[in-house]
Amino acid sequence: MNRSFEVREQVAGLLPRLRRFARTIARHPHDADDLVQITVERALLRFEQWRPDTRLESWMFSIMKNAWIDEVRARVRRDRVLAPEEAGLDVGDSSADAQLASMSVERALAQLPDEQRIAVGLVLVEGLSYKEAAYVADVPIGTITSRLARGRDALMKILGEAGGPAGEDP
Amino acid sequence: MNLTDETLMAYVDGELDDEVRAAVEAAMASNPAVARRVAQQRALRERLRATFDRVLDEPVPERLLDASRSAPMGGAQVADLAARRAERVDARGRRWALPQWAAMAASLVLGVFVGRAWLSGPDAQSTMFASRESRLVAEGALARALDQQLTGTQAADASVRVGVSFRDQASDFCRTFVLRSAEGVAGLACRKGSTWRVEALAHGAPATGDSGQMQMAGAPLPPAIVTAIESTMAGEPLDADAEAAAQRAGWK
Repeated sequence: MNRSFEVREQVAGLLPRLRRFARTIARHPHDADDLVQITVERALLRFEQWRPDTRLESWMFSIMKNAWIDEVRARVRRDRVLAPEEAGLDVGDSSADAQLASMSVERALAQLPDEQRIAVGLVLVEGLSYKEAAYVADVPIGTITSRLARGRDALMKILGEAGGPAGEDP
Repeated sequence: MNLTDETLMAYVDGELDDEVRAAVEAAMASNPAVARRVAQQRALRERLRATFDRVLDEPVPERLLDASRSAPMGGAQVADLAARRAERVDARGRRWALPQWAAMAASLVLGVFVGRAWLSGPDAQSTMFASRESRLVAEGALARALDQQLTGTQAADASVRVGVSFRDQASDFCRTFVLRSAEGVAGLACRKGSTWRVEALAHGAPATGDSGQMQMAGAPLPPAIVTAIESTMAGEPLDADAEAAAQRAGWK
């Protein structure tokens, strides 16, 4: 059996999720895909370091997180100094309302510090457990929960708690 | 029960055990404010999810598919094996890495096959090898170097430089070597009886300007060389004391 072929297949199957997580980190689609590409190349190169007791996506998310923190982030910020803020915002939805709503969510998320954004992306978007998210972020579970709490509070504030049911204030 | 925001968030994230979850649900049923806080958390989660789920529906860019299909894979790759071996050795504070090997841009000739040009050539190399019982063995200056030279004290410009020494699976000593010659030749020889049997030979140019300090970084190891060492070596390379002791005992 050709193991490397299987590995490549698994990685290819994860590409949509890797792109989704990358978009919560890097915001601009092109930067996000750069991040995915680096992650894929690095994961394949270091494949022997993957331990089957970790889910492949968690392992790859952690590679992506490190790539972002260590190098891509700085490059992106450098490149974006002169670029208009909206330049990379993705608008793939046909409904203008949905577009606006998504843009406001993306924009709100982009205002959070990296660590909170990563925690939010892992748990609220990717649906990882706290334990898995702690592994990816390489911090204790308590740190993940406090980053999540701060991130959520900030998002609610920015979004004006839109989406919650109206009224009922005690 | 006083329910913190973190507890309600953990409820929405599905992270509570049965007991606390039941308590939250009871509180939601009896207290509209709690129900509302939970609903807000849930709505935020759903909104985030809906926003980024759209990415899943986009076509995956071709360059990413290409990367997953054809980016180089590590794992069983020899360069990694060599790096691991070097790391293990370094970690024990030993002086042996495999620097000479790394500097070779070489193709490896295994076993008794040796390019005709070498054996018949006019230079000194032709006197360093001999064929005995259809095996290639070290002769002349090469045999003397393998017998006598110690890695710590050999001259930087010696015509033969010895690299790592180790025992093979038959518990015989093996040593790697590099010949200082125009074309550069490296090999692996193991002591069998009274001769050094040449198990592997590489053919290529060692890095120039070397003073025994050939750099490991960036130079990919010729796969067959590492394979030969990996498949031959039992245990770890000898350290300086063990090398000297083996030399005094005549590599027996």
